[in-house]
Amino acid sequence: MINFGFSINKPRTIDIDRNNLRKSNEILREMPELQTCIGCGTCTATCTAGNLTDFNFRKVHTQVRRGEYQGVYEELNKCMLCGKCRMLCPRGINTRGVVMLIKRKLGDF
Amino acid sequence: MKHVIVIGGGIAGMQCARELLHEGVAVTILEKEADTGGKLRQWHKLFPTLTPADEVLSEIRNRLKLSPNLTIKTGCEATKVSPKCVTLSTGEQLECDAVVVATGFDLFDARVKEEYGYGIYDNVITSADLEQMFNRGEVRLTGGGKPRRIAILHCVGSRDEKVNQRHCSKVCCVTGVKQAIELKVLFPEADVFNFYMDIRMFGPGYEEMYREAQHRYNVHFVRGRISEVSPTIDGRLQIKAEDTLTGRPLKMGIDMLVLLVGMRAGKINEKLTAECNLKCQESGFMQPRDSFLHNVESNVGGVFYAGAVTAPKNVGESINEATSAAHAVVEWLNRR
Amino acid sequence: MTFYAQFCIPFIIGTFFLAAVVIIKYVSWLRNLPKSDLKLIAKGLFSTRTIAAVWEVVCESLLHRRIFRVNPLLGYMHMSLAFGWFLLIVVGWIETVAYLGFEWVPLQGHVFFKYFVPLNGITAHKPMFDFAMDMLLLFVLSGVALAWAKRVRSRMMGMKRTTKHIFFDRVALSALWFIFPTRLVAESITAAIYGGGGFLTGGIGSLLAQNIGVEYLQMAYEPIWWLYSIALGTFFVAMPFSRYMHIFTEIPLIFLRHYRVRPEIKEKSYDNFEVEACSRCGICIDPCQLQLQLGINDVQSVYFLRDRRYNMLQQKIANNCLMCGRCEQICPVGINLNTLRQNSRTSMRNIPNEGRYNYLRGLDRSEGEGKVGYFAGCMTLLTPNTLTSMQRIFEAAHERVWWADKEGGVCCGRPLRLSGETDSAQKMVDFNKALFAKHNITTLVTSCPICLRIFKEEYNLEGVEVLHHSEYILRLIRQGRLRTGYSAEQRFTYHDPCELGRGSGIYDEPRAVIEAVGQLLEPDHNRRNAFCCGSSVANTAINDAQQLTIASKVAEELDSTGADIVVTACPQCKKAITRGSKLRVMDLSEVVAQNLK
Repeated sequence: MINFGFSINKPRTIDIDRNNLRKSNEILREMPELQTCIGCGTCTATCTAGNLTDFNFRKVHTQVRRGEYQGVYEELNKCMLCGKCRMLCPRGINTRGVVMLIKRKLGDF
Repeated sequence: MKHVIVIGGGIAGMQCARELLHEGVAVTILEKEADTGGKLRQWHKLFPTLTPADEVLSEIRNRLKLSPNLTIKTGCEATKVSPKCVTLSTGEQLECDAVVVATGFDLFDARVKEEYGYGIYDNVITSADLEQMFNRGEVRLTGGGKPRRIAILHCVGSRDEKVNQRHCSKVCCVTGVKQAIELKVLFPEADVFNFYMDIRMFGPGYEEMYREAQHRYNVHFVRGRISEVSPTIDGRLQIKAEDTLTGRPLKMGIDMLVLLVGMRAGKINEKLTAECNLKCQESGFMQPRDSFLHNVESNVGGVFYAGAVTAPKNVGESINEATSAAHAVVEWLNRR
Repeated sequence: MTFYAQFCIPFIIGTFFLAAVVIIKYVSWLRNLPKSDLKLIAKGLFSTRTIAAVWEVVCESLLHRRIFRVNPLLGYMHMSLAFGWFLLIVVGWIETVAYLGFEWVPLQGHVFFKYFVPLNGITAHKPMFDFAMDMLLLFVLSGVALAWAKRVRSRMMGMKRTTKHIFFDRVALSALWFIFPTRLVAESITAAIYGGGGFLTGGIGSLLAQNIGVEYLQMAYEPIWWLYSIALGTFFVAMPFSRYMHIFTEIPLIFLRHYRVRPEIKEKSYDNFEVEACSRCGICIDPCQLQLQLGINDVQSVYFLRDRRYNMLQQKIANNCLMCGRCEQICPVGINLNTLRQNSRTSMRNIPNEGRYNYLRGLDRSEGEGKVGYFAGCMTLLTPNTLTSMQRIFEAAHERVWWADKEGGVCCGRPLRLSGETDSAQKMVDFNKALFAKHNITTLVTSCPICLRIFKEEYNLEGVEVLHHSEYILRLIRQGRLRTGYSAEQRFTYHDPCELGRGSGIYDEPRAVIEAVGQLLEPDHNRRNAFCCGSSVANTAINDAQQLTIASKVAEELDSTGADIVVTACPQCKKAITRGSKLRVMDLSEVVAQNLK
């Protein structure tokens, strides 16, 4: 294929081979329980922000775990950190801690 | 003549007693309820064949023919267990040569999951309630009407750290499918939605039943766990979940919510662990000596397990296990 | 008269160094105080507040009254060192005056007076002073002995754990322990050679003279005074960098506090006074549940303040705190530990003008109408029993209610504030404030103590009375608008939520409500000493299993009261304790709704 040096559309594929998983691994090292997510969606269903916007915590942290970081910080900024998700998560994931951790790792503070 | 005490007069206990009597051993069954039969008495039809529970139960009862060597003590609870003696709550002590613990499981109390509104809102029921409604032949809403939209929620009190229940109760998935079909048969006009995290169809015929529910009965399956339930102004219920396959929050007005309550370890297990040196697993279910060759034996010689006391099991598995527990008991008695 | 000898050099250097550092620190802190704080100081300086502050300095910095309350032996240890040393200085000064009249004597002349007395040809001894000074020295030495003993066995002073110290603290501590024993030996040897000394130094002196011989003692004479001076000098040099900075810093802190200067959500210069006033006594360690129930022992307030002081604070330490306030209420220096931790978090995480939460614009999901507004709070939406009970209570009292967030509202902002994202949290505060104003409510009732606190402290809702539902329900009962049935058969126990009890000072109202319905049995730890349920939104560091461990321990105590039902007044606590308790756990509103007549 001819490489024009740019592409019109963002590639659809999550290319694990090309994605840099360094930050993702760092995040999972600090919060190993994030890996236990079974994707039930309870967090997103109860989410205060998710009922007002398209914020989807389950999707966002899954993207991070796949090494897709673009736009994640801005997405997480929609979260109000109210803690309903933490109260319901059947895997007992410290979801508020996850939001803060990902923002810290991606926002470098 | 050797004497064995079987604690628990459910299907596992009765089947085990039958096998032991057959081998010429005297048996005493201790049942805490007023009648034998255990949880099966409450069930309507069994998956995946929709065999009436009653049929299975009567057959088990019939097999256990009256015999001079059989004593059934109902309304009495065991408090202490050792291979040679069982103490009852009345303080009475019964001598024996071996003990089979077939105490089964407890149903999860759905009131603990307050956000689902069981015991708070009308028309939020458990799968056990629904079975009894089927038995009575009166499945209807609190006001008396027919449900037009029903949601069935999987994993209530299973796979949930928030209620200290990590394990999978195994039979709820297929129960949900079975009950969805039964509801569709009763109310062909109604929409039935199953909300699940994972569908685990582990037994023969289960997957086929799942497919049938989808294909023949048009039961909807939504991959997402309901987060909360609230009442609507017109007296219905509103549920919130994430439809994880589209990645968007979903809300829906429904007439009836069925909570598929899981199996939790029996309350008696705590006592068995604390006072009788018997080991239990992290889930609270009793720990067999090993999972392959000695799965009906406990860590104490002369104490055996049968049925759901060691893990969630379906009816067939419990009956099979009771038979093999009886064999293990006889083998053990013969070695003495 | 000469009041100089070479051995004084370490002492003189140490003293000047200490004075210089302390002055530089205080001047720079005071200069950087915000204008509003300076105004407060100017207003309070010439008022009775100054007198009150002086009295508190005497009670706390010298007598250590608050530590006495924690443990008498521990209090005595601190008092003997502080007050004893202070008296040694004062009486020592009077002693020089008594010998020399009012004459200028350099500092070392006062401190090493015993050494200089023979040099200046004074031979007449004043037995009264010898006795007094020996008494005081003994007093201080008893404190030093207790401090030694505390290192070995802290339990004897009611402390299960003591602080793990850093290098500078150890240097200063060792020097401090050396000061008084060397002083004892130096003065005893002096007494042995030149006579004088009271019952202690004189007595030891004559013993030494008999057993060792004056000629040997003379050889030890100069070195021992050198040692004493070095110990003092070392202590003074290490002091401003060690925990002993608290000795001085507590004094300006007490004055500033009396002038109503307080720490705020963002760090400011005043915080330095609070941070350096921490003596690292470690009294905050034992009550901390993270230590008590989880065995985490590097995050407590003493370590937090230490790390913050030396600029080595990490987010994982700052974030690992339940902010339950158990340490704050026992801190003998009265440091605002929660506010300091919160403003540290703000420094670490706050990003101003981030333009977040624009999606809140124009939002209003409230329903109903009335002068009374009810804000359930996010968590209460997950405990619908509370919601339906409140509805029944409102109906029974014929109250017209505006429901702010029945269909899901906007978070009160406190959880985000607690995490340090302060400016963003303000967006939610502004939103909810505008919502309350739009619906013209005059009373705001909430079931969530977390919301309650921020409504009371940060919302500045003018013309709106903010009430927790426990206060509101009690008022309805007292006004006769709610009638409840009483039965002594119903035995309840009550768990104080941190944000409601220590946080908002509401202890009696929920108890009064429970006692209107049935019998109340108190757990061992209640009111100000109540445990935290472990699920505090302030902590984002501990995991679910750790939360459960805390909840189970707390529930165990509640279960053992003999009650049939555990009552609490916070959705978060209710959920947490339900996980750990064998009993039924209910919100206060449920108990009332169930017993309505």
